[in-house]
Amino acid sequence: MIMLNEVHKSFTVKDRKTRTTKRIDAVRGISLTVKPGEIYGLLGPNGAGKSTTLRMIAGLMDPDAGQIDVCGFDTRKNPESVRGCMGYLSTDMGVYTRFTPRELLRLFGEFQDVDPSTAERRGLHLLDKLQLADFADVKMEGFSSGQKQKVSIARALLHDPKVVIFDEPTTGLDVLTAKTVLDLLRIMREEGRTVIVSTHVMPMVEDICDRVGIIFDGKLHGDAPPRDLLQSRRAKTLDEVFFQLAAESEGGN
Amino acid sequence: MRGALLIAKKEFLELSKDKKTMFLAFVLPFLLYPAIFGMMAKMGRRDEAQNRNKASRVFVSDPSGVMAGLLASDAKHFDLVQKPEGDLKQAIRDQKLELALDVEPKAAESLQKHETFAVTVTMDESERASEVALKRLKTALATQEKSWVQARLQVLGASAQLAEPLKLTVKNAADVGLEVGKALGRFLPYLLMIMMYTGSMQHGIYATAGEKERHTLLSLMATRLPRNQIILGKLLYIFCMGVIAALLNLLSMGISVAFIGGGTGSSMQALAAIANPMTLGLTFLIMVPLGLFFSNFILLMGIQARNTIEAGSAITPGIFLVVFLGVFAMAPGVDKMAFLSYVPVVNVCLALRKLFSQQFSWIEYLIAFTMTVGLAGLMTLVSTRILNQEKALFKM
Repeated sequence: MIMLNEVHKSFTVKDRKTRTTKRIDAVRGISLTVKPGEIYGLLGPNGAGKSTTLRMIAGLMDPDAGQIDVCGFDTRKNPESVRGCMGYLSTDMGVYTRFTPRELLRLFGEFQDVDPSTAERRGLHLLDKLQLADFADVKMEGFSSGQKQKVSIARALLHDPKVVIFDEPTTGLDVLTAKTVLDLLRIMREEGRTVIVSTHVMPMVEDICDRVGIIFDGKLHGDAPPRDLLQSRRAKTLDEVFFQLAAESEGGN
Repeated sequence: MRGALLIAKKEFLELSKDKKTMFLAFVLPFLLYPAIFGMMAKMGRRDEAQNRNKASRVFVSDPSGVMAGLLASDAKHFDLVQKPEGDLKQAIRDQKLELALDVEPKAAESLQKHETFAVTVTMDESERASEVALKRLKTALATQEKSWVQARLQVLGASAQLAEPLKLTVKNAADVGLEVGKALGRFLPYLLMIMMYTGSMQHGIYATAGEKERHTLLSLMATRLPRNQIILGKLLYIFCMGVIAALLNLLSMGISVAFIGGGTGSSMQALAAIANPMTLGLTFLIMVPLGLFFSNFILLMGIQARNTIEAGSAITPGIFLVVFLGVFAMAPGVDKMAFLSYVPVVNVCLALRKLFSQQFSWIEYLIAFTMTVGLAGLMTLVSTRILNQEKALFKM
């Protein structure tokens, strides 16, 4: 279970031209709840505040105000417990290319308190699902970005997390592998895990997400199932909803 | 602490996968120093043998023949040559000859009248062969001069001892161990510091800013490991690499000097005298906080940097500071300045210098050790605090 209540986050950036500091409100009062067995799609343009929201949910950043509970733990008070029950994947994440996938998964198993043999067994099972088992003992230096992404997915799910946060999970993947990842997400839903996915691929959201939230300028708009969102906005696709909200947001500004 | 050890394990495992870096860090010192010292020793020996066996080429302008005869009689050491064409100084600079002697024309007459005559020697102080030639000339003249003085005293009916009021005998109070220890005490702290710093520098950059650049730091932070354990694990790795680099380099240097550079019984005896368990133990003990101090600095600079270039620019100036402090602590008389016992880093150099010079003071050692431990602890506290901040970790 993920619960966000009136979460705020701002950053201070330096303007090199004017030599002044500027405050950017990345997240402005976001509240949402994602239940077990549910896939929540987080949409929004670049710089809207998606990654910051996901990082705060993952306990990697602290909110300035508001509260976030993941698996019943407050992210500010128990960040390690939050990260222990959660699998986090982001496009910003690289893999240690000097290792083979098997070595990497064993090591991350230890980091997540999973004994090495279990980590290896689970890791190989995940690699098999992601069609990468044949490369388990190959150094990752020559891997394509898609292969690296698959290893990252296996790393994020290695410790059997109750909550899964995937930031752009299909980036760099071919159509077939992207489908495998989506199937994996569906299985996770069936297994009763809580899943948040951030993406730009609208058909994917319509296909697998139970509910959708769209972030513009740090605010959450339209927190509802995709079909309800389309009906309320009288739109045929989520792309249309997206453009409508973008126009409203610009008008508001 | 388990998390920190796991992170350090990850760093070492990663290092073990890079054969080139492994070779440079662990094998190269054992090839480099024997090669350097071996080559230096061979060249030195060859030069020495050449100078010893080859007669010095000397041009003598001596119309009365007083000096020319003297040098000609010692063909083993002197080869009298004709006056070279052109400028005499240039000929010496061009190494066509080693010395030129200009003896006063009336030298023989002056000698007979028991008067002084002048000899002007032209040589090239920048050339070893010219120096050797001058030394040989001085030795030859000293013996001849003594016999001339004795002859003059005999004519006057005076005792030969008149020209020799005292006979100086020099006895060396220091043994070989002390001599080597004093020399080593000056250089060792400098070498230790520079090797620890440079040895951990590249590994520190790779493990900090390098992780940011490769986008792998976030995957570590997304695990259940506490952030301060990640930082401490990296610190442990950087520290270990610094200490390992310093120890391997010094070991290789020591072996090279003892077996290749000198290889004589006295050099082995000297090495045995300073390589006692207490000296080595106290040296290693004080290296720990000093290494931690350096590692903390590298970690702090590295993890706050956006990329490896930025980290390198921030960490490299530290080398100059380390060199400056090391060279300062080597200077003569510095070990007599009591207040320096309270100056961080310098006091470690001085404590080690005294340890090897057999002037060891427990109080000075303990002050240096305690201060360095305190400083390293403070640095660790500051770096974990600073590096726990989001802006340090997410600075991309």
